[in-house]
Amino acid sequence: MLITGFLMILAGCYCLIRTYHMLKIIIGIEVAMKAVTMFLILAGYMNGHMGLAQAYVITVIVLEVVITVIAAGVTIGLYKKYGNMDIRNLTQLKG
Amino acid sequence: MDLRGGICMESIIYVTLVFLLVFCVMAVVSNSIIKSAIYLALSSAMLGVIMYVLGAHWAAVFEVSVCSGLVTVIFISAISLSKMKRDEMDKLYENKKRLSFLPAALIIGGVLLTVAAFAKDFRLPAAAAAVSEDFREILWTTRQVDILGQITAILAGGIALVVLFQNDEQKK
Repeated sequence: MLITGFLMILAGCYCLIRTYHMLKIIIGIEVAMKAVTMFLILAGYMNGHMGLAQAYVITVIVLEVVITVIAAGVTIGLYKKYGNMDIRNLTQLKG
Repeated sequence: MDLRGGICMESIIYVTLVFLLVFCVMAVVSNSIIKSAIYLALSSAMLGVIMYVLGAHWAAVFEVSVCSGLVTVIFISAISLSKMKRDEMDKLYENKKRLSFLPAALIIGGVLLTVAAFAKDFRLPAAAAAVSEDFREILWTTRQVDILGQITAILAGGIALVVLFQNDEQKK
């Protein structure tokens, strides 16, 4: 499980580095967060405190959904403004 | 019976871990964003199975229903709202020169780590005796601050979306 989680984090980071597509970047973050979720459950299983681990996992899942929703909203805004989902367009935003 | 159950549980975990890794890699390397979203949903389902087998039943239910269901719906909604052409994204946006060796490095690293783990007879410490604790009691008493944080995050997300789309409507 440790090896799988480590490889999943690497795959997520690879996705973050490789692509300029906003949705794909969100998918990379999701993949890396799944590894973190798995590590939390593994830690809970090894310590015997599965209830506490589940409480942490549910917090992680809620935050994951909030991040996804906000990022999807930004993506749609980006598409409406520039006609594509290239994150390099984000540098042209003015505060 | 117990021994059989233990071997069966280990087999399920190993098979599911392989599927989980395969689906995650497919989600990352797939050219179509819809296929990526579907692979991500499948990987969430596999993670849910692992959680259930390890005894985290509540977390497994949340993982399958929220990550595998809701997040996929959000992704597909975003894709359909943007009306982008299928298969165009990686051809247009991907920087093929950057870290092109990484998939091969990932596979080789995985194989090397697995071989090293088997060679050294590396095993995780045995699971401690499960403490009888109710998940709901912990969530609502010990980790009450987490609930407040979750509510704040959800509210912040809602407000952010409202502001984002309100600006659009005002411009029109």
